[in-house]
Amino acid sequence: MGSARSDGAAEDSQFTPVKIVIAGGFGVGKTTMVSAISEIRPLRTEESLTQVSVGVDDLTGVGGKTTTTVAMDFGRISMGARLVLYLFGTPGQDRFWFMWDDLSYGALGAVVLADTRRLGDCFPSVDYFERRQLPFIVAVNVFDGAPHYEAEDVRIALDLDPSVPAMLCDARQRASVKEILITLVQHVLAGGPIGDQPASHVPPR
Amino acid sequence: MPRYDRWIDGEAGPVVRPYALTGGRTDPAGDTVLDLIAVIVTSGPAPGRAELAKLSPEHRKLLRLCREPATVADVAADIALPLGVVRVLLADLIQQDKITVLPRRTPRPQASTDLDLLKEVLDGLRSL
Repeated sequence: MGSARSDGAAEDSQFTPVKIVIAGGFGVGKTTMVSAISEIRPLRTEESLTQVSVGVDDLTGVGGKTTTTVAMDFGRISMGARLVLYLFGTPGQDRFWFMWDDLSYGALGAVVLADTRRLGDCFPSVDYFERRQLPFIVAVNVFDGAPHYEAEDVRIALDLDPSVPAMLCDARQRASVKEILITLVQHVLAGGPIGDQPASHVPPR
Repeated sequence: MPRYDRWIDGEAGPVVRPYALTGGRTDPAGDTVLDLIAVIVTSGPAPGRAELAKLSPEHRKLLRLCREPATVADVAADIALPLGVVRVLLADLIQQDKITVLPRRTPRPQASTDLDLLKEVLDGLRSL
């Protein structure tokens, strides 16, 4: 399992990272999903909130604290010598919305993980990707003991566009995660909506 | 209870506030806000001993981490500093021509417009 970097070094500028966002409510299994398929233990990077984000972040109840941190977990899958797929999990808390633009910027697409016991938790993610016109699919993580629904029921409950794939999955199983990612890329290839973003390295701020 | 006690716990975060490392700057120099998967690598002649001595330990560590092409996210995870801080420090090094951002393969950042790339990803996933 060579690191992405030494693989990429051989071809230098041909090192091509691509990104998929894994979204969903708190505790729905995003990091589990990333762990199930990543070739490395999920890495963690953090962002600290400064006054820049205080305006949009509800710091009520945090007292005199002026900075706080938000963790982002990500995994990596090397595909051949130069292509590396990065999977980024969104922070689970709603108050870190400002991170989502950063995470979604230049992404190939997104997976919205849903839990049938708390289906409402994934509404904000669905809304976000619809608004942003980033292709996405909905994967229902089937937890033991959770009421069983068919993917179609979930589609109706979430009022998804008929073109958006919805499927059941087990975020702990590599094969299941692989199937989700394949479904997403097929959906993107089939012409999911394409966002209109400027060509640069600079994500919107 | 004196209110200052509230700062001395795990929740208070590191003793040195992250942005102390950037001299309090929160915006990267030259407005270079790097994408998470932008690929960066060291450039130009290797800095000499005297030049390295002028850099902060964090800048030097970033230079070491970028000897081979790496993404901003990987570098941030390796150096274990908040992304915002890493972006400020990397922008400093870019301004000094010590690090460059490699061009993307796709002209647009929206990877979903590059059909060849998408097919490659699909093949890659299928062969996992």
